[in-house]
Amino acid sequence: MPSSSGYFRTHYDQDLRFIDTRTQRYCLWLLLAWLAIYPFLATEMLLDLANQVLLASVGAIALMLLTGFAGQVSLGHAGLLAAGAFTAGILFKEFAAPVWVTLPASAAIGAVLGLLFGLPSLRLRGLYLAVSTLALHFIVAYLGGEYEAKRGFSSGIVIDPPVLFGWVLDSAQAWYFVLLAASAGTLLLAANLLRSKTGRAWRAIHDREAVAEALGVNVPAHKLLAFVISSSLTAMAGCLFAYFRGFVSVEAFTLFLSIQYVAMVIVGGMGSLLGALLGAAFVVLFPYGIEWAMAILPIPTRWSGMVFAVDYAAFGLVMIAFLLFEPQGLVGIWRRMQNYFLLWPFKQQLMRK
Amino acid sequence: MKQIAPGSSAFRTSLSALRTRTAPLLLAERGRLTPGDVAFRSKHLGLYRERTWLDYCRMVAACARSLQALGVVKGVRVAIMGDPCEEWLILDQAAQAAGAITFGIYPTASTAEVEYQMRDGGALLFVAENQEYVDKILPLADRLEGLRWIVVIDTAAMFGYDDRRLKSFVELLAEGGRANDDGISTLEIMAGELSAEDPAFIVYTSGTTGNPKGALIKHGAHLAAAYSLVEHYPMLALEEQRTVVFLPLCHVLGRDAAITLPLISALVPHFGENLAEMPTTFYEVAPTMLFAVPRYLQKFASQAVVAIGNSSPLKRLCYAAAMRIGRSFARRRWSGDQALAWPYRLMHALAFAPILNKMGLDELRLVISGGAPLPPETMALWQIWGVNVVEIYGQTETAGGIISGQSGPFPRPGDVGTIAANVEVTLGDDNEILVRGADLFSAYWRNEEATHSAVDAAGWLHTGDAGEWRVDCLRIVDRIRDFIVTDGGKTISPSYIENIMRASPYMAEIAVFGHARKYLTALIEIDFDTVSDWARDQGIAYTGFTSLAHNPKVETLLREEIERGNTQLARVEQIKQFRILPKALDPEEDGEPVTPTRKVKRKQMYERFKELVEAMYDDHEARLLAQSIGDVAA
Repeated sequence: MPSSSGYFRTHYDQDLRFIDTRTQRYCLWLLLAWLAIYPFLATEMLLDLANQVLLASVGAIALMLLTGFAGQVSLGHAGLLAAGAFTAGILFKEFAAPVWVTLPASAAIGAVLGLLFGLPSLRLRGLYLAVSTLALHFIVAYLGGEYEAKRGFSSGIVIDPPVLFGWVLDSAQAWYFVLLAASAGTLLLAANLLRSKTGRAWRAIHDREAVAEALGVNVPAHKLLAFVISSSLTAMAGCLFAYFRGFVSVEAFTLFLSIQYVAMVIVGGMGSLLGALLGAAFVVLFPYGIEWAMAILPIPTRWSGMVFAVDYAAFGLVMIAFLLFEPQGLVGIWRRMQNYFLLWPFKQQLMRK
Repeated sequence: MKQIAPGSSAFRTSLSALRTRTAPLLLAERGRLTPGDVAFRSKHLGLYRERTWLDYCRMVAACARSLQALGVVKGVRVAIMGDPCEEWLILDQAAQAAGAITFGIYPTASTAEVEYQMRDGGALLFVAENQEYVDKILPLADRLEGLRWIVVIDTAAMFGYDDRRLKSFVELLAEGGRANDDGISTLEIMAGELSAEDPAFIVYTSGTTGNPKGALIKHGAHLAAAYSLVEHYPMLALEEQRTVVFLPLCHVLGRDAAITLPLISALVPHFGENLAEMPTTFYEVAPTMLFAVPRYLQKFASQAVVAIGNSSPLKRLCYAAAMRIGRSFARRRWSGDQALAWPYRLMHALAFAPILNKMGLDELRLVISGGAPLPPETMALWQIWGVNVVEIYGQTETAGGIISGQSGPFPRPGDVGTIAANVEVTLGDDNEILVRGADLFSAYWRNEEATHSAVDAAGWLHTGDAGEWRVDCLRIVDRIRDFIVTDGGKTISPSYIENIMRASPYMAEIAVFGHARKYLTALIEIDFDTVSDWARDQGIAYTGFTSLAHNPKVETLLREEIERGNTQLARVEQIKQFRILPKALDPEEDGEPVTPTRKVKRKQMYERFKELVEAMYDDHEARLLAQSIGDVAA
């Protein structure tokens, strides 16, 4: 909805536009300009952080589709990332496959896994479903570990930088643009899915399955579709991860990574794509923030060895705080701030979802 | 938005040229001259349909042909009842093109009033906007000899109706449409049969005393009279002005805004989905120009003021600071200093612009208020917020033109401005405002007697309003017959007092009494929206209008409001006692003391609530007491 008066539609096509009002157009140009010059201004550290955030955002959007919109809990996210990464690694090592083979292959493997591990969702809900998706994680981790051990890559698989249209991706700046495109592409795909029939069906399932069914939504098919799309996007993110790090190892895909992705969805704000982006940024940057805070605050030096412990503890506390005080996540805070000024000087009204 | 070059040929016209034209002819001219320009926009299923002049011509011509087939010929009357919508204009213009005399009936008119106007007007065809109005007319239809057809615009709820007199707008449009005709030449042929001296339409006066009278208005006179508005406010013709049509089209001001001015200026009317969606329509359209009646200006302002009162302390503080600066700036502006001072600019951007934006009123460049006196406080408030509100003075009898109007920008409230170019004005006995000009109404419909008492032999129209001159501006004192002469012999204008009181956001209506009494009293109708907001904020429990009106805390609230108003009044003008009406005034009920435009009928108000009024005068209570004591003594 436009945030200012004097806007009326004369054609239904206007409803389909992403960017409709002048303000939105200006904001978009400003954002694009900033994104374009960022890698040339940022330090190496900041650029790496941006790359991590962009990479994580792909996975976060994928999980948001599944959990935040379709309402299906999944703890198998790290497993799916691992599946994508190993697909890339194995194909590279065994067949020296280029990236334009490994990426679709990862997507396909992800889709198959999603279909398989989406099947329990037809019968299970909530916690039980979460546990069943855990199986995915352990199976992929086991298979990955077996491959590493059997082929003698016990310290991990090393992958050469990929070549895209004759352009070797070996600098952080190059990766920035690739990851930016990946993130933007995922976002656009997700946004379009969500406003199409599929997305509406997912939301209906999320709100109440019985009602969705009564409305004519094919619930099993749409649940499986959510798993397939989410998993295949995640596996592609895993594939990019493998190339970005140049290294695949089963150690990188712990259960904690799954938890981190779930955290991105919750902290960002359930049921919002902006939330997925904010959540990804928050979770990726959080440990750096803690490290920085510990360096600045007058903390006894003997504690500095405990950075990891403090990081984990603080992370847990923040999660609890969000669940208790801001269930709508960062995007809830953002919307409240927006509302405060949107309705200025009138009273801020209760937020609609 | 498309800009139209100043002085573009479409609008180069003059009073004398318009006196020889008819509206259907002008419509055909616009169809030829600017066929692709947008004539108006009307919202339907979420979209603003852009109707070009060519579309407009085509639809009017199609309907006109169908109407002719139904027996609508020269001199026949056609009645239209309903909220403003594009079909209203189309049918009105079509009927006029066919030679008929149209008249609108207030959407809020009671059954008795509908019957009276239908009988008085003697319409052959009745246009009902939707099923609601069909239900109003059908029970009467058999008693109205002349009535032959009922045309329904919105047939959504019309299943199960079986009456041979019923026709739908869509049928008219289809039956009269010709595939190879753009409508323009048809309109030109039809307009050729008309003369500027032919009667075009009847406007029924609101009738605060007695039955409404129908003022018969000729084609040429109306066009010229409406053009006096364009001459008074040239910006109307300079570039495209968006306006929202929300006033009833049977009112002459509504007709000006929606039908006539678009033909002779650059005004583009916008119609919302329906009247209940008015705030949305305003927000979406962001009109640059509005015609309003004081009641709406008051309602919008009081809703905003109450909403800010319920806002957070920081926001309230910001608004209060802005108002302080705004008030002093407004005073300076009235004394002639038009330069925008930077503190005001800042406060405007910080507080007033956001308020106006939420209401969709931030792009307004001109608001013309007419139809009733605008309380100076309300006008001042809008001007402080940065809206150029001007007041005009006109009557139904001036045929859609004005007698006078403030030119502005941002004129000081209190007068009704300078005299329009096409009329002369003088003050008669009792300072009554007398108007003479070429573009007045022709006569009251079938009421020779009333015509003679309104227009004297020398051609002066007696307005019934007492006025006075302030330099070259006219000021309205009151309706002459409304003057109150108190016990002490003091002549007081009740509407002056009522207007001051109406600045309170909590009063919807107030009527002051006190003729031949010792002091003044008032009956108050609370504004249910704002008072209930306030009550919720104060934690006062209530169940409905009556329980709210009877709440002692509400009485205290209104007492404070009255006291505040009293400080602006001389001692004899102050209201000593008041009572709150136990129910909301509803013009749709028979026998209610308000007209469909919600003007108070004083006499009926007194009769209806006699006990409340009498109870406010001590002598009555004293008599009662004496009586009861007498009983005891006996």
